[in-house]
Amino acid sequence: MTPRWRLLLLALALLVLAPAVLRVALTLPAFGAPTAALGQTVNALAPELRHVANMVAAVNFDLRGIDTLGEECMLLCAVTGATVLLRGARGEHDTARAGRLPGRPVTPRADATVLVCRIFATLTLMVGLSVALHGMTTPGGGFQGGVIAASGLLLLYLGEGYAGWRALVPPPVLVALEGGGALLFVLCAGLPLLAGHPALQNRLPLGEFRDLYSGGLMVLVNAAVALSVAGSFGLLLVEFLEETREAGDDPISDEEDR
Amino acid sequence: MSTLSPGALPISALPWLVAAWLFAVGLYGIVTSRHCVHLVGCLTVCQSATYVLLLGLGYVREAGPPVFYDHPPGTPAVDPVVQALVLTDIVVGAAVTALLLAIAIQVQRRRGTLDPQALRPLRPPPPSAE
Repeated sequence: MTPRWRLLLLALALLVLAPAVLRVALTLPAFGAPTAALGQTVNALAPELRHVANMVAAVNFDLRGIDTLGEECMLLCAVTGATVLLRGARGEHDTARAGRLPGRPVTPRADATVLVCRIFATLTLMVGLSVALHGMTTPGGGFQGGVIAASGLLLLYLGEGYAGWRALVPPPVLVALEGGGALLFVLCAGLPLLAGHPALQNRLPLGEFRDLYSGGLMVLVNAAVALSVAGSFGLLLVEFLEETREAGDDPISDEEDR
Repeated sequence: MSTLSPGALPISALPWLVAAWLFAVGLYGIVTSRHCVHLVGCLTVCQSATYVLLLGLGYVREAGPPVFYDHPPGTPAVDPVVQALVLTDIVVGAAVTALLLAIAIQVQRRRGTLDPQALRPLRPPPPSAE
């Protein structure tokens, strides 16, 4: 199908959908005056009920916790899929040489690059940790903190090169972080069930409002999500950066699934 | 938007228009794409349209963030539910994008092309693809 035909097909589909879309669009609430009551109810009740200051975290890790468990599973599945698709295609050697185009000169890294990357990788890791830890009180939480921490790994790669980076970032640790975080989340959700309570019921002491420990079980769930997200994105980085190596001696055969 | 008339669009319609524009641009890119990586990029543009729409739906005029650290609970705040939705979706969306790019790498490796036009699922790959 040429792009012209595809566009024609799209126009036809849009024509069919247009009445429904228009009808919904014309009933959108005015900007700045939402009609949904759920969010405002959460704002009014959750600080009292859960002793947390960050309502987004309260929604994510408590009120909508089961939904977040589903999202967590999606993250796990997506990362597992990407890992399975990429792993082993260039050999399993940990410290293979970085690939390069023949004929293109390799400029050695400047010392300043290495230094700046080491400093900022550490700082990025610290910021990620801080954002994750303060998830209950200030904007932040496990999702953001985990991604920030994992992006510090990319700075390490920039500074150390492939071999040095690979020695610093062992994939089994990342896998354990990812799986362990998800398992911790499942345990947080499932253990109350065993005791005859609803899933994810907040049985821990709720702590002080605006304190680092506030929200009871949410602190644990937040930590689980932070570990899992950091592990997931670190693993994705490992798998994608493996693609920059020289192809190994033992590429897997693609013949059997043809 | 109930007072939407074609002549004079209220400024409050701007977020919806931005969302619609982003979605349209992304959709056009997907339909006319000639490269799978470009396709994945267009998909994320479409996705960000939903973020604009959701955050616009949750915005409350003259309200602060739904984080009651330096202003006490009870002060007006925007809708936290849509923010939570967008937050988790950004992270999961990034992982799904990585999965799609991994698929693109495999397609390139097996078929030797990333043009959706040239990919025929049921046709055996050319012998020179490896």
